[in-house]
Amino acid sequence: MNYDLTDAQKALQSSMRSVARDIVEVPEEAGAGTLKKNMEIIAGIDYPSLILGEDIVGYCVAGEELAKICPSTFFSAMSSAAAFGLPVRRFGTEEQKKRYLDPILAGEGFGALAVTEATAGSDVAGITTTARRTDEGRWVLNGAKSFVTNAPAAGAFLVLAWTDKEAGKEKGLTFFLIDRQARGVNITEPGEMMGLRGVEIAELQFSECEIGPDAVLGKSGDGSGQLISIMPLIWISVALLALGIGISCMENSVFYARSRTAFGKPIGYFEGVGAKLAIMFTMIDLGRMIIHRAAWGMEQRQSEAAILAACAKLFTSESVNKIADLAMQIHAGHGYVKGSKVERLYRDARAAEILYGTSEMLRAYIAEDSLSRFSPEQNMMPDKEARVLFA
Amino acid sequence: MTRVYKRGSYQEYFTKEHDMLRKAVREFVRNEIVPYVDEWEEAGETPMSLYHKAGELGYLAIGYPEEYGGVEGDVFDQIVMTEELCKCGSIGIPVSIGTHGIALPPVVAHGTHEQKEKFVRPVIEGKRKAALAITEPSGGSDVANLKTTAVRKGNHYVVNGNKTFITSGVDAAQFTCAVRTGEQGYRGISLLIVETGSPGFSVSKKLKKMGWWASDTAELFFDDCLVPVENLIGEENRGFYYQMENFQYERLTLALQANTISEMCLRECLNYVKEREAFGKTLSEFQVIRHKLAEMATLWEASREFTYRVAAKINAGLNQVKEVSMAKNFASTVSDRITYDAVQIFGGYGYMRGYLVERMFRDNRVLSIGGGTTEIMKEVISKMLLSESKH
Repeated sequence: MNYDLTDAQKALQSSMRSVARDIVEVPEEAGAGTLKKNMEIIAGIDYPSLILGEDIVGYCVAGEELAKICPSTFFSAMSSAAAFGLPVRRFGTEEQKKRYLDPILAGEGFGALAVTEATAGSDVAGITTTARRTDEGRWVLNGAKSFVTNAPAAGAFLVLAWTDKEAGKEKGLTFFLIDRQARGVNITEPGEMMGLRGVEIAELQFSECEIGPDAVLGKSGDGSGQLISIMPLIWISVALLALGIGISCMENSVFYARSRTAFGKPIGYFEGVGAKLAIMFTMIDLGRMIIHRAAWGMEQRQSEAAILAACAKLFTSESVNKIADLAMQIHAGHGYVKGSKVERLYRDARAAEILYGTSEMLRAYIAEDSLSRFSPEQNMMPDKEARVLFA
Repeated sequence: MTRVYKRGSYQEYFTKEHDMLRKAVREFVRNEIVPYVDEWEEAGETPMSLYHKAGELGYLAIGYPEEYGGVEGDVFDQIVMTEELCKCGSIGIPVSIGTHGIALPPVVAHGTHEQKEKFVRPVIEGKRKAALAITEPSGGSDVANLKTTAVRKGNHYVVNGNKTFITSGVDAAQFTCAVRTGEQGYRGISLLIVETGSPGFSVSKKLKKMGWWASDTAELFFDDCLVPVENLIGEENRGFYYQMENFQYERLTLALQANTISEMCLRECLNYVKEREAFGKTLSEFQVIRHKLAEMATLWEASREFTYRVAAKINAGLNQVKEVSMAKNFASTVSDRITYDAVQIFGGYGYMRGYLVERMFRDNRVLSIGGGTTEIMKEVISKMLLSESKH
């Protein structure tokens, strides 16, 4: 087994490392300008294209570097390119790709995926936003979306709505591409999160929002399948976010443990502190490994890649919270005050087990796959299709 | 064949009088604190007006000598006070008005009559705040090596140094300061009362923190600060021992805060899971959620019981240094787990400011750090275990 990075992947890594010096971590208040600048910098090394490209391990290698420096920039970029961009890339017309994808690839705009609602998060089929067809073949949307990442700055939204409630979730949901300026669209004031505060989120309200037939992504009723198909890349992305935060926690902790003295020596030499560092290191290495395994599996079109991507998100998101907790404890009082990197990382980390699929949902997804996969008559058969619980 | 045991009885920790006090304080919190929590959290401090009100009601004077304005009461009266004040939903508030609990005991135990009239009475009457200043930027756990010096010059001590993470550091009128008057190590430390306004004293920085927002925290700077010799508490170079006498109380209070945070989060979750729906049923109907709640409740019950038992023994005059350290560790480990799970149960909402569980997650994190880190507690416990086991 060769775990070395290829030359191409090493080049991507050093490319991101070289612009890392110019990337400023987005401040927790009034950070929109800094975020915009960072997005331009990473577009300069073609990072959005990398997110959407064939070299998924390459994306992981570069993404880890970005997530380490600025989790908020990483998350805004992945929400734009992966969550919004991938469906457009995969299912959009040439016209739609030109209009909605090109700006993102150029680092000139944000896209925002709008699925979750106030009363429906994990249960995507529980959404109540509807799109009714007019006689002229146009669509009229009514409803509201919550926790829409990038909403305040996004030029366009990819909105999931019921087009045929009777058809059920497999055939009755549709994605629509909606311009920010469309009539009937209202974007509320940004929401205040615990962490990832360099990311902007807001609610979207649709009130008799009328759009043309060219706003449909793919065909009417395709929404469910489209959403399922993009989840593996989204999960790998969140796993990278968690990995990056974890690495940053560890680097800060090692620095602190070597420089902070107490009871006559650097605290890193106390067995208890050393043990914490060892735990962090192990989790980080394992996290990177499963991310790369899942990414490679996706490149190889292995059918278990989706499950592995779910595992990667699950493992790294749980780990990063344990790592951030250990890092906080090592820094003690100095980690609890504002201005400390670890104070911010601790709050950033907490999002990982929640967004883009809670750990509980992921465990349910993996369980269902496991039950269908590990039946007595079969061993692990790679070409077995896994049914998805949600969306 | 069933067994028939002779029936016994069990004892409550709280009497009818305690329950009456609890009712009164609960009412006070509902009227005087709850409507202002968000405002005071944003302001980063609890107003003196609340402190005055609490003082007038005798809430700050429980257990202090009556000849200096104290009100008769036992450990469980203080427990009632701590628990009910914490239930306002912001830990910074009870911490802010209760800081004298860690600042005054050495004065009460070792101070002169004049010192008690000057430095105890007005504080417990609610007229001025008292704070404790031990921790320094270069040392928290390693308090025996503190660097702030106090050199006797005529009728004054000349104090030089810095203190940090000082609770109520901005609003306090007096500080019980640990200073070096003698040799290196714990045998050269004295306690001095420094009043704000003393020449050479300044609040050098107001610190913002992850949580406890409504508690003002500061860094203090002593620059040839002149302190009258009459402000020395007890004997020179006995300060470390005086301070250690009060650790039991401080650790007990932190254990209570942890348990109350756990209780509030559990209550929030129990209400939420009955309301929130997904996949056609309430969250309470999902086995994973139910089992999570069962685990949370079990840990909270166990912690509460242990804390109360230790408190009862303290109330009876027993030395509980080892046990109260265990109680603090256990309670904060439990509250770490419960606050984490509570955020998870609330999903995206648990990550949004404005939700109680979001604030509790942040307020909670300092409990395994302040008042003696979990690691230092483990040192205390293990030292005592090992020396006790020698026959």
